[in-house]
Amino acid sequence: MYEVRFHGRGGQGAVMAAQALADAAFIEGNYAVAFPFFGAERRGAPVLAFARVDKGKIYEKTQVYEPDYVVVLDDKLPLMVDVTKGLKDTGMAIINTSLKPEEVELGRAVKTATVDATGVALEVLGTPITNSAILGAFAKATGVVSIESIKKGIMDIFGARIGERLAEKNARAAEVAYERTSVGICKGTLIYPEEKKWLPTAQEFPTGGALGLEVKTDAGLIGLGSFVENKTGSWRTFMPVADNSKCVNCKLCWFYCPEGAIEMLMNLPESEIPAGTGTDPKGNPKGIKIDYDYCKGCGICANECPTKAITMER
Amino acid sequence: MSSTKITIHDLPKENLFTGGHTACPGCGAAILVRNAMKVFGKNTVIYTPANCLLVFGGTYPNISWKVPYHHVAFENTAVCSAGIKRALKASGKDDALVVGFAGDGGTADIGMQALSGAAERNEDILYIMYDNEAYMNTGIQRSGSTPYGAWTTTTPAGKVIKGKERFKKDVPQIMIAHNVPYVATASIAYPTDLLTKLEKAKNMKGFRYLQVYSTCPTGWRVPPEKTVEVAKKAVETGMWTLYEYENGKMTINVKPKLDENGNLAVPVRDYLKMQGRFRHMTDAQIETLQKWVNEKWKRDLALEKALQ
Ligand SMILES: Cc1ncc(C[n+]2csc(CCOP(=O)(O)OP(=O)(O)O)c2C)c(N)n1
Ligand code: SF4
Repeated sequence: MYEVRFHGRGGQGAVMAAQALADAAFIEGNYAVAFPFFGAERRGAPVLAFARVDKGKIYEKTQVYEPDYVVVLDDKLPLMVDVTKGLKDTGMAIINTSLKPEEVELGRAVKTATVDATGVALEVLGTPITNSAILGAFAKATGVVSIESIKKGIMDIFGARIGERLAEKNARAAEVAYERTSVGICKGTLIYPEEKKWLPTAQEFPTGGALGLEVKTDAGLIGLGSFVENKTGSWRTFMPVADNSKCVNCKLCWFYCPEGAIEMLMNLPESEIPAGTGTDPKGNPKGIKIDYDYCKGCGICANECPTKAITMER
Repeated sequence: MSSTKITIHDLPKENLFTGGHTACPGCGAAILVRNAMKVFGKNTVIYTPANCLLVFGGTYPNISWKVPYHHVAFENTAVCSAGIKRALKASGKDDALVVGFAGDGGTADIGMQALSGAAERNEDILYIMYDNEAYMNTGIQRSGSTPYGAWTTTTPAGKVIKGKERFKKDVPQIMIAHNVPYVATASIAYPTDLLTKLEKAKNMKGFRYLQVYSTCPTGWRVPPEKTVEVAKKAVETGMWTLYEYENGKMTINVKPKLDENGNLAVPVRDYLKMQGRFRHMTDAQIETLQKWVNEKWKRDLALEKALQ
């Protein structure tokens, strides 16, 4: 049996990739299952999907904790989560990056395959969706499934969802990625902060689970208002940049930002207002400050700004 | 009718629904909730049933709300909110505002009997339906509030049947039929109208119902930056009418552009083409929907005239 863990972001199609791999393995006469991590993850947030392949029937129903292979759809993910966690010593990481395997930094030095799946996807599909290209790299690097079967798996799974014509393009993306995959050993230089969880004893647990406002614990803040410690800025692909000289203090972006990541300069203490800031007719400092710790890069601010003072940049 | 307008410029700086929440990028419901909390202030207790907001607003023990909030079951919003309010009143805290925040599935469908009961008893709560026109938290299933023609996972666009075959359920009118003190529709794309209605509803006694159009870029197949643009187009085309019903009187607050014959001037097609969920619609379907919108607009106008 071999087990695979896919790391992606909500909306990137990690689940479809796992399904297409299972389909390909099935075509080759194996038993195979594919399933997502069931959680509250939304578009943009880090997500997991899994696949299990065996010659015989598969009875395991758990998530994959000790994968033979990890597949990473987004090159920024290893900075946030230790994708090598639980990976078998004999295992391999397959990563979407423009770097060579030897240049990649992960939590452990492991056998690593790299391919610029984003580049391939842009070239072949015209969009940066990497779930098909990365499967080509998987076939090349592991040899446990043929590229022909992967292409059939893509035709089956993608075809049913997005139609035959687009599925064919995706199969082509896998083929191109197959040719461009290289294998080596990565650097094990990334250090992740220790994960801390609030685990109260039965005596410590508050009646009814009710928590107060911003309660300090060894595991950080808990309770009302404590979600501020969840820095959603890492979800971002595009980044809003403000030209405060064009701002007219209409406050529309401040209102529309779903995250509350925009603050008006006029609401900040004087010490935080950059030198050279202009003023509006009322004498208030003109402009905004964007909190990139929370900004998810939705782009509403840039779209709604009446003076086009905000632009989205890569 | 009191008419003090509340604008963006009246809002305080502090967020009582903090960043760090996990709504999808561009989520309309998150825009609504964050700003509504600025209007409500700290003396507020929140109830949310199962829905996106419950999930993105916190994963125990980490929570975005900075005021007490409760969750019981999916179908219980109105009755649990009413219970909380009665308990507060009994303990001498009648000044606290109790708000039930539910999705359209939790309101138009599964929460309807509790909602109707609480409205009929004129419970002293503010009930807000954020209308994202489907069950989004469980992956886009149709609700009574899903519009005609829309694709959802339970109204797929196939060869024979293309999207939802039924029209959107008119929940605000159902609530008006309960003759409660306040019923209003609003939209995230009309801040002054929205904030004024929130402020008014906050300060009234008895049962208040607000239904706020809240774009869901994920479920509607809309690029996240278009959230507000789509919501504006809904009002311009008449797909969503902004009105309020206060102590027996109905007022349409924003009138869409009309042509010289008094018909809606902006075709629904302009609204539909912005969204992937309508992509499969045939010309005949679009015409059916346009007719429905025209009739709905005429009915809203007639109601406004009748309820003076
Ligand atoms: C009694 C019950 N049935 C089903 C569910 C599963 N469930 C959780 S959230 C949800 C969808 C909620 O949809 P809606 O009220 O429209 O809010 P949205 O998620 O769209 O914001 C469902 C069906 C549940 N929690 N309880
Ligand atoms: S699915 Fe829709 S309503 Fe739910 S969090 Fe995402 S954008 Fe918001």
